Amino acid sequence: MSQQKLSFRMKRTRIYILGSLIALLMGISTGCDNEFADVNTNPNIPNSVTPNLLLPNIIRSAANEIVGTGWSIGNIVIQHTAKIQFVNEDRYLWGNINGIWNTTYGNLRELENMYTIAGSSVPVQSNYQGVALVLKSWHIALATDSYGDLPYSEATQGKTGIAKPKYDTQEEIYTRLLSDLTEANELLSPSNEAIQGDILFNGNALRWKKMANSLRLRYLMRISKKKDVKAEMQAILNDPQKFPIFENNAEHAALRFLPTVPNQFPPYTYRSGSIDEFRLSKTMEDQLKSLSDPRITVFARPTVASVAAGNPVYAGIPNGLDDINALIYNGGAQNLSRIGTSFYIDGFGIPTDRDLNIAQGMFMSYPELQFILAEAAQKGLITGDAKTYYEKGVKASFDYYGLTLPASYLTSPGVSFDPATALAQIGTQKWIALFFNGLEAWFDWRRTGIPTLKPGIFNLNENRIPVRFIYPINEYSLNKASVEAAVQRQGADNINTKVWWEK
Amino acid sequence: MRRIFTSAFFIQKKKAAQVGVTILIMSILLASQLAHAQTTIKGTVKSSGNQEVLPGVTVVVKGTTVGTTTDGEGTFSVTTNRTNPVLSFSFIGFEPLEVAVGSQSIINVTLKTSTTQLSEVVVTALGITKLERTLGYVTQKIDNAALTTARETNLVSQLAGKIAGVTVVNSPSGIGGSARVTIRGERSLNINANQPLFVIDGMPINNNVVGASGRSNQEADYGNGAGFINPDDVESMTVLKGPSASALYGSRAANGVVVITTKSGKNAKGIGVSINSNSTFEQVLKLPNYQNMYGQGLNGQFGFVNGSGGGLRDGVDENWGPLLDGRLIAQASSPTSNGFRGGDTRVANRGTITPTPFNANPNNIRDFFETGHTLSNNVAVTGSNDKGDFRLSYTNLNQTGIVPNTDLKRNSFNLNAGYNLTERLNVRANASYIKNTSDNRPSLSYGTENIMYLFNCWFGRQIDMNSLRNYWQPGLEGIQQHNFNYNYHDNPYFNVYENTNGQDMDRIIGNITLSYQLADWLKVQVRTQNDFQSEIRERRRAFSTQRFPFGSFRRENVTTLERNSDLLFLVDKTVNDNFSFNATFGGNQRNNKYDYIDVFASQLTVPGVFSLNNSRVPVEYAQNKSDRKINSIFGSAQFTYRNYLSLEVTGRNDWSSTLTLPNGVVGTAQNSYFYPSASLSAVLSDMVKLPEFISFLKLRGGWAQVGNDTDPYQFAQPFSPAQPWGTTPTFVESSRIPNFGLKPEISTSQEVGLDLRILKNRIGLDVTYYRSNSRNQIIFLPLTNTTGYTQVVTNAGAILNYGMEVMLNLTPIRRDDLGLRWDMNINYSSNRSKVLELTDGISNYQMASRYVSVEARVGERMGDMYGRGYQLVSSDPKSAYYDPTGKFVGQVVVSSNGRPLADPTLKNLGNYSPDWLAGINNSVTYKGFNLGVLFDHRQGGKLYSHTYVVGREGGQLIETLEGREKGYYSNPSDPTMLNAPEGTYFVVPGVKKTGEGQFSENTRRITPREWHSAFTLGRSVIEPAIFDATFTKLREVKMGYTVPNKLTSKIGVRNLNISLVGRNLLLWSKVPHIDPESSSMSGGTIIPGSESVAIPSTRSYGVNLSFNL
Repeated sequence: MSQQKLSFRMKRTRIYILGSLIALLMGISTGCDNEFADVNTNPNIPNSVTPNLLLPNIIRSAANEIVGTGWSIGNIVIQHTAKIQFVNEDRYLWGNINGIWNTTYGNLRELENMYTIAGSSVPVQSNYQGVALVLKSWHIALATDSYGDLPYSEATQGKTGIAKPKYDTQEEIYTRLLSDLTEANELLSPSNEAIQGDILFNGNALRWKKMANSLRLRYLMRISKKKDVKAEMQAILNDPQKFPIFENNAEHAALRFLPTVPNQFPPYTYRSGSIDEFRLSKTMEDQLKSLSDPRITVFARPTVASVAAGNPVYAGIPNGLDDINALIYNGGAQNLSRIGTSFYIDGFGIPTDRDLNIAQGMFMSYPELQFILAEAAQKGLITGDAKTYYEKGVKASFDYYGLTLPASYLTSPGVSFDPATALAQIGTQKWIALFFNGLEAWFDWRRTGIPTLKPGIFNLNENRIPVRFIYPINEYSLNKASVEAAVQRQGADNINTKVWWEK
Repeated sequence: MRRIFTSAFFIQKKKAAQVGVTILIMSILLASQLAHAQTTIKGTVKSSGNQEVLPGVTVVVKGTTVGTTTDGEGTFSVTTNRTNPVLSFSFIGFEPLEVAVGSQSIINVTLKTSTTQLSEVVVTALGITKLERTLGYVTQKIDNAALTTARETNLVSQLAGKIAGVTVVNSPSGIGGSARVTIRGERSLNINANQPLFVIDGMPINNNVVGASGRSNQEADYGNGAGFINPDDVESMTVLKGPSASALYGSRAANGVVVITTKSGKNAKGIGVSINSNSTFEQVLKLPNYQNMYGQGLNGQFGFVNGSGGGLRDGVDENWGPLLDGRLIAQASSPTSNGFRGGDTRVANRGTITPTPFNANPNNIRDFFETGHTLSNNVAVTGSNDKGDFRLSYTNLNQTGIVPNTDLKRNSFNLNAGYNLTERLNVRANASYIKNTSDNRPSLSYGTENIMYLFNCWFGRQIDMNSLRNYWQPGLEGIQQHNFNYNYHDNPYFNVYENTNGQDMDRIIGNITLSYQLADWLKVQVRTQNDFQSEIRERRRAFSTQRFPFGSFRRENVTTLERNSDLLFLVDKTVNDNFSFNATFGGNQRNNKYDYIDVFASQLTVPGVFSLNNSRVPVEYAQNKSDRKINSIFGSAQFTYRNYLSLEVTGRNDWSSTLTLPNGVVGTAQNSYFYPSASLSAVLSDMVKLPEFISFLKLRGGWAQVGNDTDPYQFAQPFSPAQPWGTTPTFVESSRIPNFGLKPEISTSQEVGLDLRILKNRIGLDVTYYRSNSRNQIIFLPLTNTTGYTQVVTNAGAILNYGMEVMLNLTPIRRDDLGLRWDMNINYSSNRSKVLELTDGISNYQMASRYVSVEARVGERMGDMYGRGYQLVSSDPKSAYYDPTGKFVGQVVVSSNGRPLADPTLKNLGNYSPDWLAGINNSVTYKGFNLGVLFDHRQGGKLYSHTYVVGREGGQLIETLEGREKGYYSNPSDPTMLNAPEGTYFVVPGVKKTGEGQFSENTRRITPREWHSAFTLGRSVIEPAIFDATFTKLREVKMGYTVPNKLTSKIGVRNLNISLVGRNLLLWSKVPHIDPESSSMSGGTIIPGSESVAIPSTRSYGVNLSFNL
């Protein structure tokens, strides 16, 4: 090969190299849009789901919330339990309590999704829509009873650009939720589509209908001081065909937790020390003992010291003691009753069937409904016999705890129905029946003042029992104008400002 | 631009690539056959001054990649097939020289010592070396010796104090934990996006911290990507600080670039072996100051029965118990009548407890910690000839931590080899394999799994640590732990020996570079690098663990891949004596993949069997995969006039998949973005006549932009699976609202600086002022959750960042005749970042939250921390606590029950960034001896200490003796303690409001516990736990001796060096109880400015031995 030819070939080679590299470079530079669109498509999770896939988590998180906040605040403020250590909550040193707020708005988003997806499917899935309305109403009622005025009509509209929803008055919220429950009753029917993912009622549309109407009675009673609810309550009772309500414990709205994590009754996962900070309240102890009420054996355990001494007794502790007095009260923790064995499993224990029946996530119970009806009858809001409802409520509560109603209980002093003291008796029995369901009991107490509760002697709230939670601090940075307008209307944002239905 | 390219080259991209590669390979094969007749040139290189031979001089045949270095006798030999070759000689400290060989075969040259730093070269972006004098921006470098003699397991931590403007925050975990580095302050609103890019040999590597997925507890630190690089294989680390230095890396380089150059065999001659052995011991640097007057209990009482409230206050885990005066008290450690321990509560026949003396154990916590040991051995074999070179290295690191049963083992293999296939064609490959294992990494965070949670807050001062060593209850081994408290805590030994966080990681980083000299002035280079990492983490929890009574087992598998390929054209052309030109242009393709699988058995069936097979409950799981691609083209050109005036311009365009809308999604998002830079350097001292004492003066300035993309999958509103209810699956919608009109982030920066050297370089001063403005940052703007969502993706923000860096290099003593030299390097930097705007209607943005809220507020500094303080008497008439007399203004308002009131407004508690940083590094050499001393100082900045808060709540810290100097007072009929003797109560300093505008001094007495356990009012008031984070550390001391070769050459050993080394030896700080360099970590994010029961930092000392064979 001649030198010249070789040099030519080399030059040509270099041109090839250069050319091909530039072509390669151009290739690199063109971010092929189609390929990139695929690369940027999330492979992990779907962008759309069906309503049945949303429902289980909504029910679970709602139940976890009422159990969790009920345990940490509700049971204490309503004096079912009292604290022996880390006593701030019991002395009404409440900071922000945001659990109900966060769960409510998280779940309202999911319920909105459920309602929309069900509504846009062909044919329309009206049972899922009905379920969504029932749970929406339950949720917003829980939240407004806890905080007062709230974003509702403009809430959960973030995707349509409402970044700062206005606060509706509690009155508006109640009007809306009551009409939603009425609508839910119409949407729900066993002849519509099957409800799947229903861990509360196992797809039974009739039970959802009953929940809708029972809740409506609860909420009508709640606002009965502010509105005339007589006609609406009576209308429900007049037509059981159209407005079915809970007829027994087997029908009520209680989530039975699973025996194992991560779907357990939440306190089962707490540290023993954290559970044992909470003891039977002396208020509850005194009440149960004065009625010789055997439910104390479910609510609490005999004290460790008394068991060791061979003479088991139950003993509570007054609410609202300071740290030292709480710890040394009655000679210390071994002389105070822990909460009942069904509400916390010691060591390597496994919850029994009975435990699972007692420690449930209670949305609304049948006994509670009976006490609502008893109160309504006693107040003349509905026709009917208050005594019958009252006694059915007491009996159902014993049934719920797997206890036999002692033969003499309904005729014993303090229990025996007396029209003169009926409202106090109904309220007291309702308060007992709502044990460990402290938030509902607290809402009720704020409305009726029954039973009579005294703040603890070391309380840090000028001898007042709190009547609401303060708004989350984030609202003041993220939705300032709206929350301030609500505070302007409703009263100072503190734990002593009464909400509309209580005023 | 894209359109034009696509239409011009109608062939599909993939095809183009295939064709291109095929042609390239064919051409290479062809070219390699065209070898000419070869000539060999030999010679010797000497120094012009003392005429001594110079080993290590680089000799290259100009216009080729062929080259060599001179050996110990200063001789070299190169072979070339060029006609009339030109040899170029270069060596640090000497002026470069080019010699036309002509037909000679022997060339002897002498090199002149350099006085004007003509030849200092710097590795810049893409691995390209440039003369430092031509750069319009500042860089700073750390050499290998500074990394390996006094070493840190995490390479990144070595930057502290050595580089101006660099802040390093180490994770709270010890042993090889993560380190967070920021250069020139915080620029991004995304707290995780403020770290620099790490680059090895021109190619980026991953520097992820993959945190826990948020499953309950189980927070451990498994290290950050760059922290696994083996320091022994690093030739140097160069920090390119501003974006102008890093404009060519695009997206991720806005926060600077750390360029790591690995060692090669290039400078070796023949076969050489080098050995380095480093052995250090680590001890606790600082522990809290605990009180030793009172033990566990409450109100002066304690008596153990079952550790959960069954005895006298024995469920209490705080130190408000009896005086530690030797009185006899039943304790968990006391013997029982049946020969067990008091704490063996589940042993059926435990028996009754025999009380034992209740004494202080002042060193109980110190005794728990062990002396950590780190042994690191490296052996490297190098070789080279004129055709090629290689370096093969193996390093074994074996570390045990100060926390018992924590360890780290790392085996690193590295091969770096290059070969000249032809005169024009060079191939270079670098491969590292790193095997990193740990049986146990310590648990972090405020919770039962972290031993410091126990020690600093809730641990009885009377406890003898030895009594806990045997941590099972007899007969219940594997089932029930033995402890001093069963209400809340785990035995610390049980915690570290049974509840382990294991790690098994394999990482392979490999790159291959092919370069071809197309012409004397033009080189083309293709290279590709893979950084692949696969990691398995196994977390075991034994039966009877507080949080996991049935134990648990969790297995995570984390796989990450970063692949970069680029094609570069490198132009280097000297046009004439006055004018030269060099340029780089090319393209890059980057791909990041991530795959995370987490399987969790939250309860186990059989104790002690840690396998998913042994799950008692349905296993929980999560998976997350992601993929990202970025294509780029870029170019840079540098024009140099007379070697003293240089202008460099760069431009880069990126196309990012993360900004590309998925199919079916409609929006206006832009996935293509272009950003330019320009910089100028002028060596004034060469341009004009300056006074004699000025040896060198350079001015420089630059302007640059850098664009940035976002995380994958931002254009979707997906539904995520939640834990199923039994077998019923369930989903939750993402609470983040996407934005289909996202724009790329753009950060613009300017810097100016000067480099002045006077008195023959005895004094060097380098000053830089910089500022940058970051716009359109992609942030997840918080929403009120009443919207149903918690975040919306937004382009927001204008962050102004500015500051100054000063490097002062002094040589106070230089006596070449005596072989004595003292060098001093002082680094100083100061940075401010301000939030100019966020987005419409938004004035604050929460960047991180852990006890303190780190917020960006318009008009304020980045890194400001917010929280509540006490209510103070105000001078504002509108305040409810207005004092018209002014007498009490500023005093704390105390309620009628004697406790301070909280001011409900969130208050600016200060900034976590330092006011300024300084490092002072001294190096003295005398003949074979050398001494290095590095001080590191941080001035200002604030730190929140959770240890301080909780340690007081638990009566653990020395402060809690205040108010109980004389014991406890308890009289139920005297609740306001009117009759309490001095030294048994506390009065909060402050005033109480007695009427509108009226105040009087607070006199209400409260118990010491009421005060100390609630001084933060239930952890809602943060201000009293904020401290000035100023500190000075004696960061590093090295004392070494290099034995003269003539003494050791008989045994075949050369360059034998023995050094005594120490790191973090002394600390001066105003922060009580903790090292102010501590931090907290949450979900893989190190949160600066907030300490949360961190594992104590360590001081280390040891010996380093190195030699060559």
